[in-house]
Amino acid sequence: MPPVHLPEVAVVDLDTCDRCGLCLPLCPPAAIHLEGNDLTVDREACTGCRKCVAPCPVGALAMVPA
Amino acid sequence: MTLDVDVLIVGAGPAGSIAAAEAAREGPALHVMLLERDRAVGAPVRCAEGVGDAGLREFADPDGAPWVARKITRVIFLAPDNTEVQVAERDVGWILDRTRFDACLAAEAVAAGADLRVGTEATDMSRDGDGWWRVEIRGPDGRATCRARVVIGADGVETMVGRWAGLDTRVPARDMESCAQYVVQGIDFDPDAIYLQFGDQIAPGGYAWLFPKGDRVANVGLGLVALKTDGRNARQYLDAWIARRYPRGAKTGYTVGGVIVHTTIRQTYAEGVLLAGDAAHMINPLSGGGIVNAMKAGRLAGRAAARAIAAGDTSARRLSVYHAEWMRLLGDDHLKYYRIKQALERMDDGFYNGLARTANAIPQPKRTLGRIFAHALVRHPQLIPVAARFFV
Repeated sequence: MPPVHLPEVAVVDLDTCDRCGLCLPLCPPAAIHLEGNDLTVDREACTGCRKCVAPCPVGALAMVPA
Repeated sequence: MTLDVDVLIVGAGPAGSIAAAEAAREGPALHVMLLERDRAVGAPVRCAEGVGDAGLREFADPDGAPWVARKITRVIFLAPDNTEVQVAERDVGWILDRTRFDACLAAEAVAAGADLRVGTEATDMSRDGDGWWRVEIRGPDGRATCRARVVIGADGVETMVGRWAGLDTRVPARDMESCAQYVVQGIDFDPDAIYLQFGDQIAPGGYAWLFPKGDRVANVGLGLVALKTDGRNARQYLDAWIARRYPRGAKTGYTVGGVIVHTTIRQTYAEGVLLAGDAAHMINPLSGGGIVNAMKAGRLAGRAAARAIAAGDTSARRLSVYHAEWMRLLGDDHLKYYRIKQALERMDDGFYNGLARTANAIPQPKRTLGRIFAHALVRHPQLIPVAARFFV
């Protein structure tokens, strides 16, 4: 069954983000990538499930309309 | 440029450095390469730096070592209502200086024959036609391709190696502790003790800690489960706790991170790949401690990789011996600890406040964790299912 996409995607505020990597294993479709100093969310892969938002220790992740 | 190595270890934390040293010792003729993404091994520190005495001594002698910050001989539990319970223990453990400790472990790996590359990151990995892994790396000299017979992913909570190898390293939100920590200076505490405080208003689903690092200096942090919070993040909970307990402290350092309080991933191996340490969720789910576990897993992984190469068989089937060895050593115990964690999660602040009073009725010299647990079973029969599940 294909994942249900909700009408939101996660975005990261790179000024706040500490690059700790906590959000990566929380993401069911593995849409968050960490390479070098770049933490990115793949907007196509993100299903809008919000599982990454609250656990961020510094509140660097938020949902925006897809 | 393409470089061929026998064992490529991604991540020079405790798991990776021990794995590299072990692989190099087990197979002196092997080319063992150890990659560290950061420019310095051991920095930045994302850790409370506490470690148990017995486990540490399997790998290094802490007496007089330059990588020790404090010796710890007492544990002080603080109930949600601030009732203190001092637990009688001896040789409890150590607070490390992780920057120095990790560098020391990496140096030992190099002394054993491993080739350490700092500031060098694995950026992608794919299976080559002839049964090797092609790992794209980026470092001070630019990009290169590294071909490896076995890749050991010791790349922490975010493990990209696990993802590239197709292993399931996802974590349910209830088993992820969100942590924040400051180095706080100029505060008063017992420098021989660690402090742990529980409470739904303090660190829901986890605990807050003070780990001494020196004279009036400590790591002060907490871990919580986001699903149980009132909407504030870990840093906001920590700021509130420090404002209450250590209002005069100077926060001179800061770190955040995730601690996976789950059980070992179902499969820690794939064709030519092993995962060790946080990458494979090898943290004690009750304590959140992972340093010694990572070193133990690293040793098993390094040895398994070297022996597989010597046997000419780096298949998943062959490498599965590593998984079986880990589960026998600690993985099966973590399943039990996880059950205790689940049971304790259902307890509220009233339970912990009552337990603290029960524990303090035991004379201090006899107040061991075992006796506290035994008394708790008598006074709080709702814990009996926990004990039953633990020992079954």
